[in-house]
Amino acid sequence: MSLLDTPLELDPQVALRPEPFGALAYHYGTRRLVFMKHRDVVAVAQQLTAHPSLSAALQACGIAESRWPSFAKAFATLNESEIVRERPVAG
Amino acid sequence: MENEKIVEVCDEAAGEPTRDAVIDEELLIEEISIDGMCGVY
Repeated sequence: MSLLDTPLELDPQVALRPEPFGALAYHYGTRRLVFMKHRDVVAVAQQLTAHPSLSAALQACGIAESRWPSFAKAFATLNESEIVRERPVAG
Repeated sequence: MENEKIVEVCDEAAGEPTRDAVIDEELLIEEISIDGMCGVY
């Protein structure tokens, strides 16, 4: 299952601090600091819980499909860094 | 840095890049480890 089809969420231990360039994301558990270097990435990250998948969040944020591969890579790295995680789907 | 991972997308087929294309080729995120920096001011 592609990450684009996966429901994601910001890890509860992550604090997001908006900056002019995008945002700083800090994980209090792993002490990892990540620079989100574009505001679109921040917007999508903040919308993750409101949508059933990453692709839905990208679409809702008006991200052009030509850019989705870049965002998929970015969120895959964020997932590996535990900044975002797969969201359990209530069933 | 060992924890630093660069995410890049190169599109050689593109002509003169538009603003959005340039953004796509740039780093969207950059990870930095601050482990071990406790006490550093």
